[in-house]
Amino acid sequence: MAGKKKISRRKFLVRGGLGTVGVMAVGTVLFRNPLRRTIMDFAETAPPMYSGSGTEPQLWFELTKDNKVLFHSPKVEMGQGSFTSFAQMIADEMHLRMDQVEVIAAETATGVVDGLSTGGSLSVAGLWQPLRELAATMRMMLIKEAASQSGQEVSSLTAEEGYVTAGNQSWSYAEIASKVEKWEVPHTPELKELKSYKHIGKPVPRVDLDAKVFGDPIFGLDAQKEGMVHAAVIRPSVVGAKYKSYTSTGVESMPGFVQVVEGENWVAVLADSYPEALMAETKLEVEWDIPKKWSEEDLQDMLQVGKGKRMITQKEGSALDDDEEGVVSLSFSSPMGAHAQIEPNGALAYFDDKGLTVVLSTQVPGITRTQLSDAMDMKEEQINVVPTFLGGGFGRRLDTSHAIIAAQLAKAAGKPVKYQFSRKEEFQHDTFRPPTYHTVKGKLNAEGYLDSLEHHYASGDVSANSAIALANTATKILGTDIGAMRGGNVMYNGIPNHRAVQWHTTLPFATSWWRSLGLLANTFAIESFVDEMALKAKKNPVEFRTQVLGDEGMHGRLKKVIERAAEVGAYSDTFTNGRAMGFAASTDTNVPSAHVVEVSIEEGQIVVHKVTCVLDCGVAVNPDQVRAQCEGSIIMGMSASLFERMTLRDGELFPTIYGPYRMALMKHAPKEIVVDLVQGADIPLPVGEPPLGPIAAAIGNAIRRLTGERLTDIPLQENLDQLLA
Amino acid sequence: MKARLFTLFLFCAGVLFAMHWNRPKSTMEVVEEPPVVERENFDKMMSVLTHRRCVNCHPNDGVPKQGEDSHPHNFGINGKQDSHGFAATNCASCHQAENNTYSGVPGAPEWSLAPSSMKWEGLSPIEIAESMMDPKRNGGRTPDEVMHHLTEHELVLWAWEPGVDAQGNPRETPPLSKEEYIRVVKAWFEQGAVIPAAE
Amino acid sequence: MKISFTINGQDQTVEVADPYTPLLWVVRDILDLKGTKFGCGKAACGACTLHVNGEAVRSCSYAVKFAEGAQVTTIEGLGTKENPHPVQQAWKDQVVPQCGYCQPGFMMATAALLEKIPNPTDEDIDQNIINVCRCGTYYRMRKAIHQAAELANNSTKE
Repeated sequence: MAGKKKISRRKFLVRGGLGTVGVMAVGTVLFRNPLRRTIMDFAETAPPMYSGSGTEPQLWFELTKDNKVLFHSPKVEMGQGSFTSFAQMIADEMHLRMDQVEVIAAETATGVVDGLSTGGSLSVAGLWQPLRELAATMRMMLIKEAASQSGQEVSSLTAEEGYVTAGNQSWSYAEIASKVEKWEVPHTPELKELKSYKHIGKPVPRVDLDAKVFGDPIFGLDAQKEGMVHAAVIRPSVVGAKYKSYTSTGVESMPGFVQVVEGENWVAVLADSYPEALMAETKLEVEWDIPKKWSEEDLQDMLQVGKGKRMITQKEGSALDDDEEGVVSLSFSSPMGAHAQIEPNGALAYFDDKGLTVVLSTQVPGITRTQLSDAMDMKEEQINVVPTFLGGGFGRRLDTSHAIIAAQLAKAAGKPVKYQFSRKEEFQHDTFRPPTYHTVKGKLNAEGYLDSLEHHYASGDVSANSAIALANTATKILGTDIGAMRGGNVMYNGIPNHRAVQWHTTLPFATSWWRSLGLLANTFAIESFVDEMALKAKKNPVEFRTQVLGDEGMHGRLKKVIERAAEVGAYSDTFTNGRAMGFAASTDTNVPSAHVVEVSIEEGQIVVHKVTCVLDCGVAVNPDQVRAQCEGSIIMGMSASLFERMTLRDGELFPTIYGPYRMALMKHAPKEIVVDLVQGADIPLPVGEPPLGPIAAAIGNAIRRLTGERLTDIPLQENLDQLLA
Repeated sequence: MKARLFTLFLFCAGVLFAMHWNRPKSTMEVVEEPPVVERENFDKMMSVLTHRRCVNCHPNDGVPKQGEDSHPHNFGINGKQDSHGFAATNCASCHQAENNTYSGVPGAPEWSLAPSSMKWEGLSPIEIAESMMDPKRNGGRTPDEVMHHLTEHELVLWAWEPGVDAQGNPRETPPLSKEEYIRVVKAWFEQGAVIPAAE
Repeated sequence: MKISFTINGQDQTVEVADPYTPLLWVVRDILDLKGTKFGCGKAACGACTLHVNGEAVRSCSYAVKFAEGAQVTTIEGLGTKENPHPVQQAWKDQVVPQCGYCQPGFMMATAALLEKIPNPTDEDIDQNIINVCRCGTYYRMRKAIHQAAELANNSTKE
């Protein structure tokens, strides 16, 4: 795996002359990993890695005149804080101050494009080894050059804060680099010990903090180009509808009108400004071919345990016989969910003598480029995809098919075109979190612990039919939707008989990755059931879990996290002041997490007062940002658990606006969140999604103790409303 | 809403039924016209004042209602302390002096919730009329002032120009045209603003 | 139609064909101040919040003609990197932003809240700060709002 190998000397390439004088560019190609290994990675059995796609050396670092390092990141920043962690790694291994490192997303034309995506919480974890090695190698190269330029011994030189020093002489990195004609690439030096890092492991402020606090134009929709026109695109509101034709009711005479463009399943109006495009758009009457109006009932018929493609994803011991005495079975469900990221999708596209440039918020710059290349019949080298900061990712930016529409519009108009989704378009053309159904069964042994536990779950596509070819391929090879599988297997290895069975169905509209994928719903089902069995057995739910966990490896780490959460959160089965506690745990991408929540019901509303979250994320490169990810996961997870639901109404996906699509607001956020980090591994592990796992189950488990009622259906507030009605 | 309309229908049907049975047979031709006309103005006026374009902003719980289904205003907006909303986030944060076609946010001058004394939601037409004519509850207005408010105030007349919703669909207008509404309101006041006796 | 107003202390006159053009697009695309964000266009998410005459308004639902003669403030005019507004300072101190897209709207709403209520209670915050944040930064925002109130009050005392 990546972490153990050194970067090959032969694969270093040094280029000069990029940009201004004194710019140094160093590129490398990391070896590629066997497909299967990466699949295994996805299937959460191995530590994560970086998977570079380039076969050509590409730009990683630039050393700028003002003696700063500009890192062209193969991963994008969508809020997860990875740019900050990258800067910490670079600063530590290149001997720089934090303010001497800048991070930008690499453009596909010049930078290294990650073959996977930014997602799966793998950015920091994946680049942990290669990025530090690159940075350390860069430092060595600079020292060697300084040595040869000054005629001194390498051993007599030291590097600190961007300067190489020999006695009372010193040279800035930029100064050294500017004199280099041909770089000599040394062996990668030994990396430092964890404890000797100055930046790694410290809660340094985010590197993008100023840009985000003062409103800098850093997002996809902030992009602009001289002479651009704006597009409003009409796409079908009814699922499965096909574009037939349009009739103008006076669009030509609307202010700012430029032209109408028809596409494969859309018609667009171009205008001088976006509001003009929006108004002009109302002067088109569009005819659609509607083969069928899908209903909620249709979906429920298609998607249920026992229907679709069956795959056993876990099998240990024997299967339960439903007729056996003492077998308990409960059913659970979760609804379709929208990403609802605040920055709508969109893209700026333009052609010039170099080819096509598309600027957008994307989690998959490489895939965006490939898709553009196919659709526009252009070579990939003629296309530059420029990823910006993302106004939220959460899996939504894995599908960037709108980049093609923008490019087609720019071609048709012969001008730069900026295309921004309306919010309705955003809600109706999302790639939703699929609805899920679950049946969980179990049986206690004579001592009152779980003897059998089975999770049967039905889900729409998550990784199947994904834009990420690797995920799609993996789904085909393994016969399992590996995204829907996240959190679906039983993590309690001490239960003698346990299994998980997946039923997979592709729905008539796109469903895909949504932060943590199947984890939230799967954990809700399993951990609610486990809690119910603990109550049945009259056991403390913490001990009920740890009793069936081994001490080794992943299971041992989970056990520690559970014990720690119970301790830090002071878990108790008794409750006071109308508040009850709920406990739940999950494991995702090798990262165990456990929550203790304190919940009450006020005027019928579920109120979450406090959440204690314990996470074993290995090395926390930036503990403050790991905490931020835990807080965010908890609140976004609460939003989905308590409130959110997309439905089909008269063949259309509904709602199409915030408000009716009910989400957690400030008033719903817990007043107290305690995050406790456990370091159970000596590498950083994913943090952006795992702590989202336990939240729904933990809240449900608290409600069970408050009311005696078991909530089995997300959104929980709706479920409670029904019970109270 | 449907239930309310149905109640109104039952009420009207009951009134007509009672009138039919109570009228003295011998003087049938003589007494038929005047009371029916007066009642008609009242009922027509009330068909507007009980419409959701009016009642949505005359709630009984301090929470403005929205849309044709009269759901509670999104995002927890309420006018319990101040009929203009909260200190920094209030009606005018989103609602301006005119409808906004781009956002579908409705607007009119003085956009606000009716004061809590003027809660109409859930009241019968007769109860609404009583409330409307009661100076203790109508903001100290004389009958003439009430008439002017009902027929001239821009926020009231907004009901006939309610614009489009967030999806660009036109909002429903009250069951009478604005002109007819103004005519029946004025006629009702001119005829003494008689509120029919409760059942 | 020509409309004149002051934005971030500078006089501006813009020409638009439609006086109902949302102020948001005038600010973003004519005046090129990109800090005010487009989130929903329906006054639902609050990403486009700015100040008109000191009041927080959702600019996607604010016809530019209403801004005639008004004082408009956007995030770019709230404070600068060198001289941040107390809300911005608190936002930095608490490291609030994640993706950052909704944050200008939240900061503008908060600045307006502190003008009205210098020491907001949690309930005041819950009622007035009703923008939508998808990353779930509400927890830190609440801390930042309380801190901003302190900073603002301290600076007034000095």
